[in-house]
Parts: sequence; C-alpha cells; structure tokens
Amino acid sequence: MRVVHYINQFFGGIGGEERADSPLEVRPGPVGPGRLLDQLLGEESHVVSTIVCGDNLAAENLDDVAVAAISEVKASGADLFVAGPCFQAGRYGTAAGAVCAAVKEKLGIPAITAMSVENPGADLYRASVYIIDSGDDVSRMQPTLAAMVRLGKKLSAGEKVGRPSEEGYLPQGALKSEFVEKSAASRLADMLLAKMRGESFEAEVPIQATEPVPVPPAVTDLSQATVALVTDGGLVPKGNPHQFPLAFSRVWGAYSFAGEEALAPDDYEVSHGGYDNRHVEQDPHRLVPVDTLRELEKHGAIGKLHEEFLSTTGNGNPLANSRRIGREMAKRLKDSGVDTVVLTST
Amino acid sequence: MALALALHPVKDMVVGVETALDGTTLQVGLEELRRHVLEDRRLESVDLEVVNPGDSCRVGYVFDIIEPRAKEPGTGSDFPGIFGPIANAGQGTTHVLKGAAVTVVDGGQPGGEHGHVTRRGGMTKILEMSGPASEASPYSTMCHLVMVPHAYSNVERHSVLNALRLASVKAAVYLGKAGVGQPPASTDVLDLEGPHINGRQGLPRVAYIGQVHGHQHGTDSDEHIVYGANTRGMLPVPLHPNEWLDGAVVISYSWGARGLETFYHQNHPIILELYRMHRAGDLTFTGCIATVASDLQQELSRNSMLAANLAKWGLGADGAIVTKYAGGAPHTEMFETARWCEQLGVKTAILVSDTAPDRRAESAALMQIPGVDAIVNLSEGADVAWPAQPVSRVIAGNGDVAATLASAEILRSGDVCGVVNNQGASSLQSIVY
Repeated sequence: MRVVHYINQFFGGIGGEERADSPLEVRPGPVGPGRLLDQLLGEESHVVSTIVCGDNLAAENLDDVAVAAISEVKASGADLFVAGPCFQAGRYGTAAGAVCAAVKEKLGIPAITAMSVENPGADLYRASVYIIDSGDDVSRMQPTLAAMVRLGKKLSAGEKVGRPSEEGYLPQGALKSEFVEKSAASRLADMLLAKMRGESFEAEVPIQATEPVPVPPAVTDLSQATVALVTDGGLVPKGNPHQFPLAFSRVWGAYSFAGEEALAPDDYEVSHGGYDNRHVEQDPHRLVPVDTLRELEKHGAIGKLHEEFLSTTGNGNPLANSRRIGREMAKRLKDSGVDTVVLTST
Repeated sequence: MALALALHPVKDMVVGVETALDGTTLQVGLEELRRHVLEDRRLESVDLEVVNPGDSCRVGYVFDIIEPRAKEPGTGSDFPGIFGPIANAGQGTTHVLKGAAVTVVDGGQPGGEHGHVTRRGGMTKILEMSGPASEASPYSTMCHLVMVPHAYSNVERHSVLNALRLASVKAAVYLGKAGVGQPPASTDVLDLEGPHINGRQGLPRVAYIGQVHGHQHGTDSDEHIVYGANTRGMLPVPLHPNEWLDGAVVISYSWGARGLETFYHQNHPIILELYRMHRAGDLTFTGCIATVASDLQQELSRNSMLAANLAKWGLGADGAIVTKYAGGAPHTEMFETARWCEQLGVKTAILVSDTAPDRRAESAALMQIPGVDAIVNLSEGADVAWPAQPVSRVIAGNGDVAATLASAEILRSGDVCGVVNNQGASSLQSIVY
C-alpha cells in the first residue's frame, strides 16, 4: 500500500507559530511522525511522500492546498491518504479535514485524519471523513497512528468498519440498525447497574446539548399587529392537497380562509398519525382558532388576522427537515407582512 | 408472593376433534373452540386456523398475540377482571403451553398502504412464519392458533374491539386448560418478597416503571387493560411482578400490536431479567409500577411525578428502568418520569425506539434532559427490511388485507410482530456510526 501523508510546519520540523506561513512543499518518503507511521504500516506498505504546509497558509488557501494534495496523490499512485494527527491544533485540524474530504471525493481513495473532539476541524469534517479521536495529548502519538493504520488498512481492503468505540474514530452520525446479542431488556439492566455503581456507560442515543431557542422581543402593540395561525397538527383542506403523510412530513401548506368568519368542519380534515384527530375534525378551531382570532380582530385587540393558516404534520420529523420547514414558513410569513404568529401543536 | 409456572412444552399443533395435549403435540378441537368463542353474540363467525413454524404463511393484521395459559383450578382466576372474576393474580399455579400462541386478527381494518394506522385497533402488523423476515421474530418459532373473529356489521367499533379482546383471552385459557391435569415438563417458581425484603443489604434496589397504555389515540370505556380497568384517570399503581406476568395486564387496542403484545406482558423481558438478576444476587428487585401516558399536560406531570414518588417512597428503589408505550406522548411522559426519579435520587435507564427516517443521529433524540442519560435505543428504523417472499397461505381479516399481504414486496422491521418490541424483547439496536 502506498501512502501520502499530510503534516503541518511544526511536525515537518520547520518551526512553530513564527513559521506558520511556510509554503506547501512535497518531500519524498516519511517526515517527522511519518516515520512512526511508516513503521506501523509494516513491510508491505510505505509512506511514499509527505506534504508539509504552514498552518496559516493552509487555513487561508484550503482549496489550493487540496488541489496540490490531489495532484501529489495522483502522481505518486497512492491508495491511502493520511493527515495528522492534529490533536488540538485548530488550523491544522481544519486543513487536514478539508484535504482528506477533497482527496476522498475527487479520487475515491480512503483518507483518514486524527484530532481531538474539541478541534474545530472535528465538527466540520467528522461526517464526511474518518477522524480518529487523538485526544489533546501529543504523547498519544503512537496509539493514535496505530488506530489510523488499522482503520486505513480496513478501508483499503474494503472490509466492514466497526463501531466508533471499537475503531477509535469520532462518530459520524449515521444510524444503522443491527441485531445484537443482548436484548433491550438486558442492555437496560446492565446500563442501569453501571450507572448505579458509578461505572462508565455509553448511551445508545447521542447525548447532545440542543441549541437554545432565544426568546424573540415582545410585540409591543398587538392592536396594530398582523397575526397568523401556524400549526403542526396536520389540519388540511378536504382532499389533503399537498398529500401530507401521517408522519415524517417533508411538505407544508398555506391555506387561505379569506373572507370566512370561521373554518367549516366539512371543509377540513386532519393528516397526522400521532394523536386522536376526532376532536379536531369535529371542530377545526380546536387546533386552528380562526373563530377566536376573528373576534379579537373585531374588537380591535389585534390589528388584523392573516387570512391563511400554515400547516404541517409534526410527527417524528428529523431535525434537519423540521428546521427547513420552519425556515420556509418564516419566510412566507415575513414576505406576507405578518408580525406575530400563534403556534399550536398537539 | 409465589407463582408456580407449570411449563408444558408444545412443539406441534394439529387440528382434532377434542382439545388435548399429547406429549408435545397440542391437538385443538376447532369446533368446540368455535362454539365457545361464538357464545359472544356480537360475533357472527370466527375463522380458526393452525399455523406451525416453517409454514409458508403470512397473517394480518394482528390484534394481539397471547400465550395459552390456565390457572390450576382453585388457585386463582384467569385474566382476572378481564375474563375471570377479580382475584389477586400472581399466586398459585398457572399452566403454560410453552411454544404455543393464540394470534388474533382484526377483521375490521382496511387494507391500505402497508404499515399504516387505523385510528383505533392498532398499527397494521403481521405474523410472518417463513422467509428472511421470520428469522428476526421469535413468534415464527411458535405454534399458532390463528383466530379471526367477525362481528356483525351493526356492532360499534369499540364493541368489536372488546369482542376481539374477550375472544383472545377465552381462546388462550381454553388452550391452556389442556395442560391442567398433565404433569409439567418443569416448574418455574417465581417468588419475590417485595420491597421490605431483608438480608440483601448493599445490593442496588431496582424497580420497573412501565407504561401499559397511552391515551393519545383515545381509550374506550369498555377497554380492558389492568385487571379489566380501562385506565382512564388511573394514577400510577404498584403491581407485584407476578401480577404483571400472570394475566393482570393485557395490551390496549390502539397501537396495540405495534411493539407490544400481551405475550410479552406474560413473559415480560424486563421483569424476567430483573428477576434473574435478583436471584443471581446482582440486585434486589423491589417491584413494578404500572402507569399510563396521558394526553393532557397536567395529567402527564401528575402521573410522572407520582410514579417516581412510588418508586422512591413506596418501593424504596435506588434505581428504576422506565419504559414507554409506543408513540410520542408516551415518549415525553417516560422522560418526565425519569426526570422526577433522578430528582429524587432514583437512577434511571430508559428505552427509546428511534424512527429517524434520515438515519442521522441528530434526528434520533426527540428529547434531551440532563441526568436522563442512560438510554437504550431499540431501532424502528427503515433500514431494516426484507424482501417479502411469496407465501402459499395468507390468513387475513378481510379481502382487502389479504390482497395487500399477498402482494407485499418489502417487509420492514416495524411491520413484523416481535422484531421491534417496546417491552424489551427486541435485540434490534440502533447504532451510531
């Protein structure tokens, strides 16, 4: 196996921060940590060349560095690309991730890097390339390179890659369903006992802090405001014109009730598999209270009721999809001059 | 409280004139059973069929699957409050036909798109007895009496469902009686003193909190769930593990067969695992709490708080496994229950089933609550599917469903009974790569 290795100016022996502008150069054979990498690769495989580049130069010219790396990999006939390990070095990690992603995409050969989970390059590239978790301690160079070699050889041979905790890479966020040896009941009991004993355990769902949603500034004068009704309870005109599914909806709709005082039950139905829809089908105002808002409009408590309601089916939706629907709805409301919305859910 | 399970293994089920257990062969007198089931005057007819492991057969849509069991006369009541009179379940002797099952099919469900919901009466789930999908379900290794009760067309839907429930337990008890008077192959005695047990100092004290129903799809007044109660307005209630296993609890109608079957109340994987660990000296199993997921915010808060309080102050637990009924509202209530537990110092582990259609980890966690961090993820993902092999026999609730089942091309994990199970039986895991 022929390997091209990417490292920064520090590991290339050129110098520290004062030399972070060093231009990209290609040297034959292994350099710096590449010597250990070469050793770990064993008899059959070698580091054929090393790309060394200053951190600042790389950070400011990511595309150029990627192009240079691609041409070097091509020229040397390499079948594996390795970058780093980068530990906590942020510009180094970002460059390593970007170059690996580009090599993998353009040439279709495996590319591996390594860095700590806090390295900014980790969040940027963990989904697209394998990043071995190096931690932030440079003394872990040997085990980190060993894990990179193990995984690199597997990838080159087209073997099945194990779980992140088995192989040592940062989870890429893909979910795969698998039949495992232990039933859920037995895993629950084991995990609970580990937790009660103060031992470490690994949740089977990633525990991540969800972004807080900032509270928007208050509407100061409702009597001047245009108010819209938005729901994720799946209310649609009879016939379900946008074909909302019962769950996992990718679509939403804006439905006009211009000139109507209220929503007539016969004109609407519900497409939502997550609750007992009968109450809403009897009286759609239980979900989308046009009647009450019309009254408030009449009394001048609100300026104007926006004469269409926006609706989708909020049931089991992936986060990315919900965010997109939210953005699209917000844009339509903004464009229509809506000042504030009443969101109703189920 | 001690419960003796007299185990009679069944390896083959055949049709006969009388119902009798001969060695490991269960002979079923279909006509006698038919007369018994049709005593319910809401039912016009009932289809009865016998299906054995390996049969090229697909059955749907499944209302419930129950293990045939009958109490030794004089030692208790069968499905008390549901079939037999109210009596304390979980003591005396129960005859169990191990390896046999009563599978009840709902005749009232439309055909429609594979795997989709009707409002009351559950998800559309099937029993698959052959081919690759069957290998993922423990039910394919059992001998089934498949029953399709047909109600008169003027019977209201809730009453049809009630008739299905009664027919299901009647048939389970009827078959179970074949074990009475026969020497069991083995006897398993489940004996647990309860929360005040002495002499186990130093062991972690663990309770199980399980939702037996979710009200978000409605609950019928004549629905039987816990000792015959429909659980509307029910506060969390402590149950001895033996009561749970011995017929005090059956699944409810809605979403019933979606990841829950009465079979796995009778053979509850979490309760049995805690029993096993209790006997092995790994922990002290202090008992169970049955609760329901509400569709009202105040009730949700009240139930989750009270369930946690019961675990802490009633059962003296330091830890609890908390599981949900299928769906989103139950998911929220499970997290809330765990949050209250953690506040009281009762450590928790919970069971989620992710449905992330994009198979991305960020879509798997519907909720995040600090401290509720021990989470087992049983997959309901669409990435587990099998080609549906043609079968020589389809047993269906009606012609529409029969056509849907006969022409099925793909079977997903969520379609096949026993693959995705919210009671902990499933070994399907969603893994983050």
